[in-house]
Amino acid sequence: MERTIRVLVAKPGLDGHDRGALVVAQALRDEGMEVVYTGLRQTPAQIVSAAIQEDVDVIGLSCLSGAHNELFPEVVRLLREQGADDILVIGGGVIPQEDIPYLKSQGIAEVFTPGTPTRVTADFIRSQVKRKRMSLQPAPNKIAHIGIAVKSLEDALPFYTEQLGLPLLGTEEVASEQVRVAFLGIGESRIELLEPSGPDSPIARFIEKRGEGIHHIALDVDDVNERLLRLRENGVPLIHETAKPGAHGAQIAFLHPKGAHGVLYELCQGPAASESKEEAAHE
Amino acid sequence: MTTKDCTELYRKWQQELAARLAKTPERKQRFATSSDIEIDPLYVPDQIDDAYMEKIGFPGEYPYTRGVQPNMYRGRLWTMRQYAGFGSAEETNKRFRYLLEQGQTGLSVAFDLPTQIGYDSDDPMAAGEVGKVGVAIDSLEDMETLLAGIPLDKVSTSMTINAPASVLLAMYIAVAEKQGVPSEKLSGTIQNDILKEYIARGTYIFPPKPSMRLITDIFAYCAKHVPKWNTISISGYHIREAGSTAVQEVAFTLADGMAYVEAALQAGLDIDQFAPQLSFFFNGHNHFFEEIAKFRAARRMWARLMRERYGAKNPKSWQFRVHTQTGGSTLTAQQPDNNIVRVTIQALAAVLGGTQSLHTNSRDEALALPTEESARIALRTQQIIAFESGVTDTVDPLAGSYYIEYLTDQIESRALEYLEKIEQMGGAVAAVEAGYMQREIQKQAYETQRKIESGEEKVVGMNCFQLENEPQPELLRVDPALGRKQKERLDALRARRDNLIVEQTLNRLRAGAEGTENLMPLILECVRSYATIGEICGVLREVFGEYRAV
Repeated sequence: MERTIRVLVAKPGLDGHDRGALVVAQALRDEGMEVVYTGLRQTPAQIVSAAIQEDVDVIGLSCLSGAHNELFPEVVRLLREQGADDILVIGGGVIPQEDIPYLKSQGIAEVFTPGTPTRVTADFIRSQVKRKRMSLQPAPNKIAHIGIAVKSLEDALPFYTEQLGLPLLGTEEVASEQVRVAFLGIGESRIELLEPSGPDSPIARFIEKRGEGIHHIALDVDDVNERLLRLRENGVPLIHETAKPGAHGAQIAFLHPKGAHGVLYELCQGPAASESKEEAAHE
Repeated sequence: MTTKDCTELYRKWQQELAARLAKTPERKQRFATSSDIEIDPLYVPDQIDDAYMEKIGFPGEYPYTRGVQPNMYRGRLWTMRQYAGFGSAEETNKRFRYLLEQGQTGLSVAFDLPTQIGYDSDDPMAAGEVGKVGVAIDSLEDMETLLAGIPLDKVSTSMTINAPASVLLAMYIAVAEKQGVPSEKLSGTIQNDILKEYIARGTYIFPPKPSMRLITDIFAYCAKHVPKWNTISISGYHIREAGSTAVQEVAFTLADGMAYVEAALQAGLDIDQFAPQLSFFFNGHNHFFEEIAKFRAARRMWARLMRERYGAKNPKSWQFRVHTQTGGSTLTAQQPDNNIVRVTIQALAAVLGGTQSLHTNSRDEALALPTEESARIALRTQQIIAFESGVTDTVDPLAGSYYIEYLTDQIESRALEYLEKIEQMGGAVAAVEAGYMQREIQKQAYETQRKIESGEEKVVGMNCFQLENEPQPELLRVDPALGRKQKERLDALRARRDNLIVEQTLNRLRAGAEGTENLMPLILECVRSYATIGEICGVLREVFGEYRAV
């Protein structure tokens, strides 16, 4: 379950016009966000401390007095100083168009001027927070393996074992994919040679179309289904929407190469990764 | 149902007007249309009966539905008073002189937020705000610069100042003294309406109780020493800007007015001593006929409250005299020139509603402070209504319209419902402290926003008839170095003045604030010694504490 987006709506400086701030706060609540309103006359320091205390994703600053060029950047500066610059800062109010580039250069993500529908603000917050949260996902642990399509394991293995000197960790037939796999150890990762075991095998089609060569790169991750969900929400094309069983009891899923600049990626989670580490260590 | 014929009263009114005109003639000897149809000062129904007299009556007479003057704009036009002020006292002084040269008839001072909240320009709380929404005034020295070369016995000056209203009024009196003008000759207005600050505008300093004391101290002082001054401008303007309806604007403004009256009565003042100096401030909003009706309803309601409820005897105490500003929140940042048209319609409604003075907003106010050109167009808009449209040729021209009279009655009865509710809560101060008006307004503001977003309410150029790639208009920029310059001026002042005397006057003020004496004379002493607004309000903050919003 994803955490509800939390927003601090704040009035920096001495400006008392809070109709806009109150309307935006109410609109964001109706959009399903949790909103805290600071009230009037907050210094940038008070706003930053409230944001950290309330553990918000977003600070929305409202200023109609013309003091935005001084006050908005100060909020961003203090957030950075306190290591809280993952909090998104947006602004609104009576703000001339010509001031917006400066504010953006100072780290204000967006400025919403009078007449902006509240839905636009809400959509912006949602997409930015999603992106921030996505980028906050831990990086994949390592390359689990590189899959190489070969016509015949028997023909290809001698090059890897004898010429490159990689240890052969074992072979396995994955009936569902009509493929026979040979596992070769290389540091923390492996090379998997993939041989089609039937004419309908995807590997057979790959070789037919493009010849032998690198077929996919598998990334070792801890949270394959969670990642698939976020990728899908962010519009990344997937081959598998949820993970399915792969070799060595791992949970695997493929992303579509059209969303990955021509590379077929596999996400791979499960005992296989750690087992293979142990296996490699035993060698 | 029997009705009483009141034609005799009309004859009496006509005779009184004739006597008055013999002394002070009207703007023209004869008013007529382009077709030379002669225009009378007033048009009345064929049958003048007691029902008409009770609800509508004649202008200049109780219940003032048709206006506070018998011949209204035929005698004298409303005061054209453009709110202005930005940056330093020098710059604002220049803009004032420009506006006076352009035919403006009264001044209206906008102060920056630190001044309005009682902070000096070098206070950390003032960071970024110095000179932004108005002129920065720290001490009498700045006020002397602001008003240099402006004859204070001839010009009437309105000051939008609330929590520290005593301090700015004291400065104004002190500058006049230096010009040789006695305070008895000064005319103008201080906003001085703290309740609507808690409700809608936000520049409060002290909690309600000591704030009400400061206000009644001003009432008492001015009744004696500054009799031509409007001691308060009870404001619905900001309530409307915050999102209220016209009915709420009328109701909450009158509720606040009643709270001030009651505070002054409790302080031992006589109603007819202070009530003639009360004035009001309304918004000129979009719905043309409702706006006109709003002014008429408010006049009738206030007259009845003052005479019947508070027992005021002086007709001047019954009069709802009102300044109007067109609705800033109706202006769009998109296609700003369209705002000129909005302002024209709103201003016309205020004039047809019988306003005593008027500020017309500039087209660029949704973007920044107005440029000189924008401010001039806004003033010209008033002048065109005054001199070209002919709406000033007869009094209350829309009276008797079934629609206008219906709306007037409706606004009155709906506002009375609110007044009753507020009374049950213990009056306006209690209702404010409970956040009642704030919530009502906020609900309405959100409702309006939803209607605009759904397209149910159309805003031309914003949610319909939009333009791609609008050109960006030229905007006024406030000198960003001003904050620093103002600090330097303050440092120099503090080094130059006699700090021992400053100390003494501030100590006397502290003692006075802890007691019950009228604070106006003490504040005047502080101001004369060049104590700063931050120092004076600082002393009062120590004694009174600060208000925290609910």
